[in-house]
Amino acid sequence: MDPKALENEARSAIAGASTLSELDEARVRYLGRKSELKQALREVRDPETGRILNSLREELEEQVAVRRGELEREDLDRRLTEEVLDVTLPGQARPRGHLHLITQIRREVEDVFLGLGYSVVDGREVETTHYNFDGLNFPADHPARSPLQSVFLNGDVLLRTETSPSQIRVMEQQPPPIYMVSLGRVYRRDTPDATHTPVFHQVEGLAIDRGITMGDLKGTLLHMMRALFGEEREMRFRTHDFPFTEPSLEPDVSCFLCDGVGCHVCRFSGWIEIAGSGMVDPALFEFVGLDPEEWSGFAFGMGLERVAMLRHGLPALGMLWENDLRLLSQF
Amino acid sequence: MKVPVSWLREYVEVDATTAEIADRLAIATGEVERVSRRGVADVDGNLGLYRVGRVLEAGKHPNADRLQLCRVDVGEAEPRQIVCGAWNFGAGATVAVALPGAVLPDGRTLERAKLRGAVSDGMILSEKELTIGEDHTGILVLPEAWEPGTPLGDVLPLGDEVLEIEVTRNRPDCLSVYGIAREVAALFGGELRLMPGAEREPTGEETPAVVVEDFEGCPRYIGCLFRDVRVGPSPAWLKSRITAAGMRPISNVVDVTNYAMLALGNPLHAFDFDTLGGGRIVVRRARPGEEFTSLDGVLRKLDPADLVIADAERAIAFAGIMGGLDTEVADGTTSVLLEAANFEPGTILWSSERHSLRTEGSNRWEKGVDPYLAPHAARLATELLLELAGARWTGDTDVRGDLPERPVVSFRPERANRIVGVEIPEQEQKDALVALGYEVARGWEVTVPTWRARDTTREIDLVEEVARVHGLEKIPFTLPLRSAMDGRLSRDQRLRRLVEDSLVGAGFSEVYTLSLAGSDPHPGALRLPDPLTSEHAVLRTTLLEGLVRAARHNVNVGNEDVALFEVARVYLPSGDELPDERWHVGAVAAGGYARAKGALETLYGALRIEPRPERTSEQFLHPGKAARLEAGWVGELHPTLLEGSWGALELDLPTLFAQAREHVVYEDVISYPALRQDLAFVVDEEVLAGELVAAAREAVGRELHEARVFDVYRGDPIPAGKKSVALHVAFLSPERTLSDEDARVLRERIVTALAERFGAELRS
Ligand SMILES: [Zn+2]
Repeated sequence: MDPKALENEARSAIAGASTLSELDEARVRYLGRKSELKQALREVRDPETGRILNSLREELEEQVAVRRGELEREDLDRRLTEEVLDVTLPGQARPRGHLHLITQIRREVEDVFLGLGYSVVDGREVETTHYNFDGLNFPADHPARSPLQSVFLNGDVLLRTETSPSQIRVMEQQPPPIYMVSLGRVYRRDTPDATHTPVFHQVEGLAIDRGITMGDLKGTLLHMMRALFGEEREMRFRTHDFPFTEPSLEPDVSCFLCDGVGCHVCRFSGWIEIAGSGMVDPALFEFVGLDPEEWSGFAFGMGLERVAMLRHGLPALGMLWENDLRLLSQF
Repeated sequence: MKVPVSWLREYVEVDATTAEIADRLAIATGEVERVSRRGVADVDGNLGLYRVGRVLEAGKHPNADRLQLCRVDVGEAEPRQIVCGAWNFGAGATVAVALPGAVLPDGRTLERAKLRGAVSDGMILSEKELTIGEDHTGILVLPEAWEPGTPLGDVLPLGDEVLEIEVTRNRPDCLSVYGIAREVAALFGGELRLMPGAEREPTGEETPAVVVEDFEGCPRYIGCLFRDVRVGPSPAWLKSRITAAGMRPISNVVDVTNYAMLALGNPLHAFDFDTLGGGRIVVRRARPGEEFTSLDGVLRKLDPADLVIADAERAIAFAGIMGGLDTEVADGTTSVLLEAANFEPGTILWSSERHSLRTEGSNRWEKGVDPYLAPHAARLATELLLELAGARWTGDTDVRGDLPERPVVSFRPERANRIVGVEIPEQEQKDALVALGYEVARGWEVTVPTWRARDTTREIDLVEEVARVHGLEKIPFTLPLRSAMDGRLSRDQRLRRLVEDSLVGAGFSEVYTLSLAGSDPHPGALRLPDPLTSEHAVLRTTLLEGLVRAARHNVNVGNEDVALFEVARVYLPSGDELPDERWHVGAVAAGGYARAKGALETLYGALRIEPRPERTSEQFLHPGKAARLEAGWVGELHPTLLEGSWGALELDLPTLFAQAREHVVYEDVISYPALRQDLAFVVDEEVLAGELVAAAREAVGRELHEARVFDVYRGDPIPAGKKSVALHVAFLSPERTLSDEDARVLRERIVTALAERFGAELRS
């Protein structure tokens, strides 16, 4: 037997096998029990011949394995190309539900302030006039104290008219510095229409520390508005009057629809009125026993529904309470 | 407050344009809602097309009975022929004329036209067409002295810009043109003119009888008496200003009182003096059962808390709110008593709300008018009554209680800088305060002007004045220099988000329903004494009603696969002043019990709690498909509540969160393999699958790694009244590989326990 000739012949047979069965035939012929090579190996007497034949066998076995791999892959590819599918058909999804739009905005706001190192406070919804009005420096004849404007359970207890009473409770419970936001439902005796419901949601923010300035209020609100309405937003602050802040500032954010040029959303002013804010009135510090000479702070409040309506173009506030899945599932 | 700019500029000299004034006021004083242009537009020579004209001839139009054909001298070589529909003038009248090409205040462009065959080469104008007043019954007749051809704009206020300013509650001083002028002067460094109204002496010695019985409600009352008054229409300039400021001209006397109010902010009233019983004024509270008819013709039943102006016998006016019909100044009035008073805000607010009667007067009084303003308003009105109604001022009476002192406030400029966050030079701070009417004495003792005495009593109030005059836009955007941080959600807040997210993942959408319900199953639920509507009467103790309503709405509009949840508070009576507000989660979904139970399992799984439901019954649930858990319930809604098969649940979140396992310690379920087996037991129909699982757990202990029901079978060969429950169990030890023998022993424990407790037979 001429190993060299055998090798050449076997190599071309293996390489030439175009199917797995042809490859198997070649393997049996050249490496099977009855093959010339196996025959020779059984009869070998001298170590040198043995070494040569063994290395030939290993060489051919390797060749078969490589060729088998190639043919199997070809075979697989051939089968796969036959399994053509309409790739645009729907998949097997389990449909998710949707968080209510107000919850989504609520979380956005919470996350903005968590990022600024604020805590989130769950205030009470049923409050005493002590916390809802007296502690917030509402004068005795303020219209909000009237049962025509607010929802009372009795003379001293009402549904909170803003989220601010939680400020007083936190200031009573915790020494400054205080950095908190409080979000939730507030109540007004409003007849439902496009922009009013008797229940709506507010975010209230409070920062009390040494040396807090009006500039800090401006910067903090700018940070929030940019997070909610886009990095290009600008703000302006107008003087205003609230019982619980002095000075009081009403913040406007530049219109994100027209970029300040003027459109129906901003009533052609380029600015959108969106919140209330100011420096914590010293009367509030005195109410909770803090020294207004040592501490200063700012507070702000904003309606979440208003953010929803402005940012997402909702035509009416009441839609957020109808809970129609056709609306809910858009967000 | 509507402020005509020409009027404003009469009181303040300033270089700024109207737009600049509006911008600055918006930031520093009150929101400027709009700047509107009224009257004749000042564009492209439009004003030149408005002239004084004199009617040379006037006669009936040959082809139309209702029209006059006029020849009118408008200062040109030839008179113009103009057709006119009004008949309140004749030849010789001086009139206002618009020539062809003129753009009228309503936007139309006047054209040379043929009317019933006659050319009309212009238009003779009415007050209304010029927006000077409301009168459109005839054309505007001008004073004879005015020369034909005179530009109309030289003699009449043809057009003006009007600032519409939203004035906050604390600034009643800005409910006047002069008050706004004072702001403009301070903001632009302009020169504020003296208050209008010249000081003069009465020409008689009459002193009308004025008695103030209630100085608390009325700290001051000035009554000025006028004789020989000729009531008639006001001149065009006065009508024009009042109209521009949003009021309706009525007669010269009434218009003068309104003008003085708009100019200075102190509402006035004029009585026909001859109608006053006993010729006297008494300011007092109403008597029980007293009535009077107000100017609007409504009979008012008075409350003893209402402050009234009375004569010797009866109430004749709501103090500060509205006068009475009986004492109204009318065409024949010749003697007028002018009231320039001051009323206490609380009283006026209360009466105005109680009688649902809001007027220009009440709007100012209820916010607190400067008690020192009354004489100035009286002075201005007096000047105008003498000039415009030919009246004689024959005397007055000034009755006053204790008027408040001007507050003196200690101020520190450096304190202002610390609050504002910028360095404002001391001189600038002082100038700002002085321009607003404050007196700044040595050592920064600041005396507050009378018109700000209610609002400015503390140093912080002065800080606001300094900041707004300095310019809020000049304050930089900064963030607090923090000395503490606590940016974390609380455990409950985190877990609430987890609950919401789990249910969203399970296919439920979140709804928001009202906290106020029409009714509530809890007998002690808090009821509103005065509900908004019958649908908003009770503070709910359960979320179910709102969820069912939301589900029904979705079904009604045709939505499919409805699955809703809400995370919100309920309000449980606590016995204390305030209710126990507890967060609940509620859910409702099409698909019956299994859908709700599945959601419950997802929720409990997320919180790492093992649910342990027990059979229960609730009126609102299907009697056979209702389970109670420690935190609440899950079940299928009773079909009378909502048609179809609806699963629902409601859980008390604090209870649930108390059981939630947040801290997880690694348990070795990896080192050694689990041995898995399926066991089917035949049991009585009444036995609950959950009881079998619980008993198996108890029998094996911690080596029972997993046990769950995967099939329940009824029918051949299982006898009637029985069922086969198939359990999948997995045995696992963290210490060693369990042998088949171990597994056999453990399985035997289950079989024995279930046989003893439930008579369960293992199927082979
Ligand atoms: Zn816009």
